[in-house]
Amino acid sequence: MKKIIYIFLLTTLTAGVANAQLESGSGAFNSYTSVTYSVGFATGDMGEYISQPSWRGMTLEFGKFVTPEISIGIEASWNTFFEEMDYATYTKDTYSLSGKQYRYNHQFPILASFNYTLQGDEILRPFGSLGIGTMYSQRNTDMGQWRLKEEAWHFALRPEIGILYELGEGSHLKVSGKYYTGFSAGDLDAQSYFALNVGIVIMK
Amino acid sequence: MKKTKSLILVCAMGLMLLGCYPQGPEYVEDLDLVYTNHNDDYDFASKGTYARPDYVIKITGQPDLDDNPETIPDIYATAILAQFDANMADLGWTKVEADAPVAPDIVMLPASLETTTITYWYDYWYGWWGGYYPGYPGGGYYPGYPSYPVVTSYSTGTLIFLITDGDPDVVGGNGSHLIHWSFAANGVLTGTTNVNRVTKAIDQGFKQSPYLKTN
Repeated sequence: MKKIIYIFLLTTLTAGVANAQLESGSGAFNSYTSVTYSVGFATGDMGEYISQPSWRGMTLEFGKFVTPEISIGIEASWNTFFEEMDYATYTKDTYSLSGKQYRYNHQFPILASFNYTLQGDEILRPFGSLGIGTMYSQRNTDMGQWRLKEEAWHFALRPEIGILYELGEGSHLKVSGKYYTGFSAGDLDAQSYFALNVGIVIMK
Repeated sequence: MKKTKSLILVCAMGLMLLGCYPQGPEYVEDLDLVYTNHNDDYDFASKGTYARPDYVIKITGQPDLDDNPETIPDIYATAILAQFDANMADLGWTKVEADAPVAPDIVMLPASLETTTITYWYDYWYGWWGGYYPGYPGGGYYPGYPSYPVVTSYSTGTLIFLITDGDPDVVGGNGSHLIHWSFAANGVLTGTTNVNRVTKAIDQGFKQSPYLKTN
């Protein structure tokens, strides 16, 4: 049921954006706005903590074209990872604790992005991007009625490659892969994950 | 028209975010925790006998040393203590009376916490066991102090077992008896007590304490 709600909301969201743009008329592209749904796959330390993919994620991007190929922008993203662990015993020093753990990992990258879009045949446009900025990580480990909360603001980098498919004048379907890396900071080691994004890009 | 679409967009995004927080525990059993800790220097293997009271006291706050402590209903205490005995027997221990001619090697003190949290064990254990502990008069002594780092917060309905040495002369630097093993099952005695939950927690406590085995 939840998946149906997500699909409905995503459809409403993307259709609304596309229609709004189609009505706005055309012209040379000076700026872009992007809304994408994001599926995350944790790697490294985060992958050891939560092995399940994140089905909860979203990315918003805004930017300006400097040339027809080059644009700079800003990205705000969010992914929540969750895993319910089996009943297990955790031992440290002389004490042992048994119970079920509920693990949550929330990632919020906020990045400046530098993008290069190949012009191609104007229907399909491959692009590459590098993001640089910060990423807020919050790791919550719930056990019984207690929560261990660890958090960090990382320095973060994010390469991305993808493709734009023109849906109509100024509106594009976007499919891309991103790899976020937040370097060791605060309570946490380096946090990294791969994100598969599908959504809409509106260019004006 | 544009404003309406923007509003739809914002609402859709808001609903999407609200619906995205993952689920947590669904049943009260999912919150059950079993905690054990022990004194690594205490040689359980060289011991063989233990004593325990036939009741489980309720810790409701500071003890009134003039009154007998309140206890949990016998129907639960009997099942809890029987499960403790069964696990001890499996590990090679023999149960004796506290006032037996030869003092028991160790003494187990069971309790149920009726407070929301305990911050210091010292406060709450003061005086509770004076009437039971072999070799001591009722009230007014320090029955136990952990000989290792402890968790300092438990929820209401937590079942606790503590093991101290059976020799009344073996005390720590502050004159209190050292606790060499502690067991806490969080929340298993809350609301309508499910005996199966409690006995399962006790079994788990022993399972994660293999060092209790005697020769």
